[in-house]
Amino acid sequence: MVRATDLPDYEREHLVGKNLPPLGPHCWTKHAKPLKEMRVALITTAGIHFQDDESFDFTDSSFRPIPGEEDSSNLIMSHSSANFDRIGFAEDVNLVFPIDRFKELADVGTIGSLASVHYSFMGAGLMPEAYEQSTDQVAHLLKQDQIDAVFLTPV
Amino acid sequence: MTTGISLVRENAESMRPPRSLWVSFSLGRPLGVPNDAQFQHRVIAAALNLLERDRGPILEDYPVNAPEVSRETVPACPVSFPKADNSSNWQSRLAGELSSLKPWYELGRRRRGGRTLACVSDLSIEENLHKLGEYLDLNRLPIDELHWFKQAIEDAKVFYLEAMTAQPGNHDQMQVDQTLWRETQLGAGLFLFYKGFRAHPTLHPFARLILPRTAVRGTTG
Repeated sequence: MVRATDLPDYEREHLVGKNLPPLGPHCWTKHAKPLKEMRVALITTAGIHFQDDESFDFTDSSFRPIPGEEDSSNLIMSHSSANFDRIGFAEDVNLVFPIDRFKELADVGTIGSLASVHYSFMGAGLMPEAYEQSTDQVAHLLKQDQIDAVFLTPV
Repeated sequence: MTTGISLVRENAESMRPPRSLWVSFSLGRPLGVPNDAQFQHRVIAAALNLLERDRGPILEDYPVNAPEVSRETVPACPVSFPKADNSSNWQSRLAGELSSLKPWYELGRRRRGGRTLACVSDLSIEENLHKLGEYLDLNRLPIDELHWFKQAIEDAKVFYLEAMTAQPGNHDQMQVDQTLWRETQLGAGLFLFYKGFRAHPTLHPFARLILPRTAVRGTTG
């Protein structure tokens, strides 16, 4: 969004209040293969899931798996925040979760392949430490799926 | 390794993820423009390019803004609502509003091939608005049904927004939001729930999921 300095005082104070120090020591993984050979997963904090999945609660550190082969147009959203636009996501899932764009990139060989399963969290109301157990679990699942790179989208 | 999009530059600056592309798009729109695959591909390419850098952390600014809806084409009052009969109760007023919006909601849903976000709750929109109206008529908070309440208000808000944006014209997101909060019975009712939860000794954090900050400022100064 626009820089916080361009926002009204109350909005700037709220967003800048979410600034946090880095999570743990600096880490850097150098690319070991070109993008066209990488297997890529998507992770979003937009609180999206399929209708049959349990919706996200008021605060919720759990995650929902999003299998790549399912119809993404059936994804819905139960994010707690009232402070962002949802109509864009209603119009086009890819605005938040660009699964069809990444399928296109895999089809033309820009990336090597796509994960069999992607993941959705709901980023609201909790400090990062609350997500540690879930993110450890997802990291393990990504390794099992032989993922090289993760593409992260907020909301 | 990770790369991704950041919507609030200051947050990414402070937390220093290994690779992040800051975009100037609205909250809720990290890829910028719905139904524009080429625009979305350009954003993705910029973020994927960060994977091939040798050193980090990298916080790069995406140089393109999302196109804005021209203010000249946006009507001053983007959505029309019938005048509410203030002598009636909340259940009746919400039911009346629902019946005026339902055709537009169905139109929007058909245009999206059946897609809607107003389906998180197990109850229908009619049932949810009826229950919300009951609580408002009794001047009570749904403290024993918070899970239902969260789902019901999310469905109700998105139902209204899907219906309003199905009406003819180019809709400016901010104006549609203002219409929801300032001109509808749902907006007025949710503001009462907001005030009730905000004053509650233990459930006051729940207030923040009812109204956006812009609506709170608009109604309370």
